[in-house]
Amino acid sequence: MANTETALKEASTSIEGVIGAALVDYTSGMALGTLGGSKDLDLSVAAAGNTDVVRAKLRTMEMLGLKDEIEDILISLGSQYHLIRLIKGRNNNGLFLYVALDKGRANLAMARHQLKRIEASLEV
Amino acid sequence: MKCTRMKFTAPWKRAGRRQLMAAEADVLGELRRLRTRIPQLRGALTASVDGLVLAQDATDIEAEGVCALTAAALGVALRLSEATHQGGFRELLIRGEQGYVATYTAGSSAVLTLLAEPRVNVGRLHLEGRRSSVLIGELVDASTGRTEDA
Repeated sequence: MANTETALKEASTSIEGVIGAALVDYTSGMALGTLGGSKDLDLSVAAAGNTDVVRAKLRTMEMLGLKDEIEDILISLGSQYHLIRLIKGRNNNGLFLYVALDKGRANLAMARHQLKRIEASLEV
Repeated sequence: MKCTRMKFTAPWKRAGRRQLMAAEADVLGELRRLRTRIPQLRGALTASVDGLVLAQDATDIEAEGVCALTAAALGVALRLSEATHQGGFRELLIRGEQGYVATYTAGSSAVLTLLAEPRVNVGRLHLEGRRSSVLIGELVDASTGRTEDA
């Protein structure tokens, strides 16, 4: 079982090409923890913005009548991958892990696999 | 509540308030833009630190009362921040069962107060609120500066 800090640290070390990572509460849009980031990647902006992404998708699914849940969301940019993975589990509702990756260095399949593992071990 | 201990000063005098109102259109424009950027806002107000309404874009809300209460809350927040050595006052967030009230300093003599629904994205509320409060602060300070020059 990992807490927020160790999970984010684990994400940045075990996943190749991480630019920034955050654990975000999408009921409020605020980050519980962040790691990395820079002037070019403000993680509090990313937390608020990606909260809207998650909420929009959840609303869309509701309107489509899909009785399912989001496992993860991949956004691929020209030079980056952004991965959003929703946290499951009884006590971890309303949270997602957000990782921004350098497209040139990242292995997407490996990144998803590692993120899934980190998500499973996360205890907030 | 006595406001004499507050760091903020209201530099304009009664006679100068007319010039201050010149900024009202610009401030109101910013409040409207803010409400389009955050649809979950129920209202946006700009008040002077002594509790007078400078501009408002709100429905179903008694602006005078809210601005007066904002000034009172600001006085307490300032003193609390100073007493606990947290430095100057920046912002205040109140979460009620039915929504949020957020207050941000705007320049040296005004505050921006936002009223939001409970489902608002608080992260975005802070991002947009902080950005707008800087702009509104500049608008209000510039207009009070002009007043002093006149």
